[in-house]
Amino acid sequence: MRDPTFWILARASGITAYLLLTGSMVAGLTVKSRPFGRAVKAAAVVDTHRFLTLLALGTIALHGLALTLDSTVRISPAALLVPGLSPYRPVPTALGVLAAELAVVVVVSFSLRKLIGQRAWRRLHWVTYAVFGAATGHGLAAGTDTGRPWAFSLYVGAVCAVAFATAWRVLTRSKGGNRVPNRDRPVAV
Amino acid sequence: MYRIEIDQSLCSGFGACAELAPDVFEVGPGGIATVRVGETDDPAVLDAESACPMAAIRVIEVQAA
Repeated sequence: MRDPTFWILARASGITAYLLLTGSMVAGLTVKSRPFGRAVKAAAVVDTHRFLTLLALGTIALHGLALTLDSTVRISPAALLVPGLSPYRPVPTALGVLAAELAVVVVVSFSLRKLIGQRAWRRLHWVTYAVFGAATGHGLAAGTDTGRPWAFSLYVGAVCAVAFATAWRVLTRSKGGNRVPNRDRPVAV
Repeated sequence: MYRIEIDQSLCSGFGACAELAPDVFEVGPGGIATVRVGETDDPAVLDAESACPMAAIRVIEVQAA
């Protein structure tokens, strides 16, 4: 009988990575909207955001490793790096590869923000929405558990959470805008 | 009175300080926050310290001369 350990690990780590990515995005979006006011320091939210992001990257790596070790689907190490090489659901899998690679770019850009400039780093952070969108598409279309109500609800909940945090962030932004002198505006997020 | 210190190696130009205490903080063209005044009694600096995403602002309470 085939050992399903790596297959189960791949599915569990994929869903966990998606939840961590969602948590990271929600934390990042609340850095400036500050739903808890002065009770929670923005720096603590940033620490949470970065911690969740690193956990998500680690879990994505575990997801990829489990897939290469599993024999249910044949995914080579090269297919983890090159979108479209996987014979298993090639397009949804390519979305997952792209999401992971873009996530790495966004994370690395934080360390390079002095080099590339604060504004470029901030703009690059918009790529996170592409990461989240690609990860959602990947999970829905390539995930074995999508058909189960709990898994589908999880995707819907994650999308709603990010959409809600984004809307809150946008509404908060307009509230404080007038207090900044015009000459200082370009760098305010 | 409050004296403000900014760790410019941490500052990432979010601009929260300049939004909350525009008379005290400004963000330069390079995207790094600087202090407009040496000392201030504007309590908004406490909000700015709490709101700094990078914990780059330190507010020290000093006795007025």
